[in-house]
Amino acid sequence: MAAGQWPARRPGGGLVRGIRAAARAPLTARARRELLFCAAAAPLGLCVLVVPVALTGLPLTVTLLAHGIHPAHHGPPAGLAIFLGLAVFLVLLALLVLAPRLARRLAAAQRRLAGHLLGEHIAGPAPVRAGRGPVSWTGATLRDGPGWRAAGYLLVQLPLAVIGCYVVVIWWAAGLVNMTYPLWWAWFRNHPAGVRLSPVPVLTPFGVLHVATIAGTFAAFAAGAAMVAAAPWLTRAVAAADLWLMRELLGPGRLARRVADLERARALAVDDAASTLRRLERDLHDGAQIRLATLAMNLGMAMDRLAAGKDQPGLAEVRDLVGAAHQSAKDAMTELRDLARGIHPPVLDTGLPDALATLAAASPVPVRLTTGIAHRPSQAIETIAYFCAAELLANAVKHSGASAITLTVTGQAESLLLRVTDDGRGGADPAAGSGLAGLAQRARTVDGRLEVTSPPGGPTRVTVELPLHA
Amino acid sequence: MAAAAPGLRVVIAEDAALFREGLARLIEGRGHQVACSVADGGALVAAVATHRPDVVVADVRMPPTHTDEGLRAAIELRRAHPTLGVLVLSQYIETRYAARLLEDNAAGIGYLLKDRVADVAEFAEALERVAAGGTALDPEVVSQLVRSSQQYAGLAELTPRERDVLALMAEGRSNAGIAAALVVSASVVEKHVASIFAKLRLPPSEADNRRVLAVLRYLQP
Repeated sequence: MAAGQWPARRPGGGLVRGIRAAARAPLTARARRELLFCAAAAPLGLCVLVVPVALTGLPLTVTLLAHGIHPAHHGPPAGLAIFLGLAVFLVLLALLVLAPRLARRLAAAQRRLAGHLLGEHIAGPAPVRAGRGPVSWTGATLRDGPGWRAAGYLLVQLPLAVIGCYVVVIWWAAGLVNMTYPLWWAWFRNHPAGVRLSPVPVLTPFGVLHVATIAGTFAAFAAGAAMVAAAPWLTRAVAAADLWLMRELLGPGRLARRVADLERARALAVDDAASTLRRLERDLHDGAQIRLATLAMNLGMAMDRLAAGKDQPGLAEVRDLVGAAHQSAKDAMTELRDLARGIHPPVLDTGLPDALATLAAASPVPVRLTTGIAHRPSQAIETIAYFCAAELLANAVKHSGASAITLTVTGQAESLLLRVTDDGRGGADPAAGSGLAGLAQRARTVDGRLEVTSPPGGPTRVTVELPLHA
Repeated sequence: MAAAAPGLRVVIAEDAALFREGLARLIEGRGHQVACSVADGGALVAAVATHRPDVVVADVRMPPTHTDEGLRAAIELRRAHPTLGVLVLSQYIETRYAARLLEDNAAGIGYLLKDRVADVAEFAEALERVAAGGTALDPEVVSQLVRSSQQYAGLAELTPRERDVLALMAEGRSNAGIAAALVVSASVVEKHVASIFAKLRLPPSEADNRRVLAVLRYLQP
């Protein structure tokens, strides 16, 4: 904004400011950081050159080696050639397989540099998910999209790294050296009169000048100053281009970013829904429920007084009316309690085991409950697990004809496992429009899953797996 | 009840002012004295230390966390003052809470739904029973604990009728009270009680002691 207003008010002011800014540019902290970034990132980028060097150098070395061992022959014996060829092939194959992993390492170093020096924090991709064993490891590496993108970045960045090196060496370093020429001319060139000196080379981006006089050294100084003045803008351009490449190729892909955004939004929605229900239950508890309890208590006291009172005309009718009101208040309390418990059982706040114990005890079919929760899940997940357990127990009681139910809940480092087993008749089908389909859907809202094994004749086993956080 | 000496000193802990005042009125209407009314667990522990009541009435869910501070305060109070009667009130009955309350000793413990306060005479009786070292468990507590302890040996041998009798015993009723509830004669109840003691292998000793033991065996998972 300010830059746009200045020239209009003070013609020429913008120009002066521009010149001043240009003169100051090489001295700013930003220029220093960008220079450091180029100086560090460019050599790192050149590491990629190891690959073509290895690709061409290795077979060459091997061939030379083979010839060296048997100088008398024109070629190596067939066995050795095959062995060496195989060795080369294997090394190259290993290099290819390792490429995404190595590229990830180098790219991570580049990202750290950008973060430390330029303040540009680029989120890294998710780590490679590999199972156990070399086959799974290799497969995961070869399918590692972010790893290959990092490799692509390193290839595309290679010319940029060359330009970066060029700017650092020619524009910055040579420029600074050139600016020192007048100084050391005076110190080292105190030769006797009449001695003819060979000219001193001055390195500039446009070729090598040769100066042989003190006036020439000032020309070299001027050239150096111009180079140093221009250098910050060049390093800035290189750094900006590199950052753009990094953002495009090293950060999580657009789809991955979108997925991450959606996951975050969904987790918020799930947690928010759970806390809304908790608040609702809490409001009921502190409001309507306590008022009803007080009402029922007061009516109870009124009944007491009426019972103690002397029989007067009409008193029996009052007694009946108060009695009816008293009963209604008690019934309403029971109904409201069941309703509130269905919204959010408050005992869940002290943990899933306490809540499930009451649930298990309330079941008409005996339930054997086992809980082992090392890592407590989020409240939203606990709520989902609780209502899944409630529904599964109710299903088992209603449909299976079971005489015993087992409810097991285990909390592992990454997931919560809930399993309900009954010894009933089996044959439960999640596809047959039962409550199981609804439960599966409920689990899916947080990336959980539901598994049913229920052969005809039983037993039925339903497993619900939920993440620890939505 | 013989032990229900009028003039019990009571401390009430309940965060809802309306209900707290009603409770105080009810208790005072029964000839007892409300020494202090507080609104959270910490204040309850302090009030008991100051006022030395015979019995406390505590809500489970109180500030600051609104989870189980009343229960925790009650358990802490029982450890510090073994003869203190503790009657816990709640909107919900939780099996684990009951088990925690009854862990050491069922004598002098009550755990009732807030609904029970509406039946003034029964509530007052429960309060007096707890103050006298008896037990007052909500029928809901009893039915929950019964179901969760059914698989235990001894208990499995009980007939359904004996189980009913034991459940009523756990609620804290006397033989006469049980007889009235089941609409049978007192001698029938006595026969059931003797059979329960035999099946639970409780040696004949002081009757009250065996009663508490039977209830505990029954309630503890």
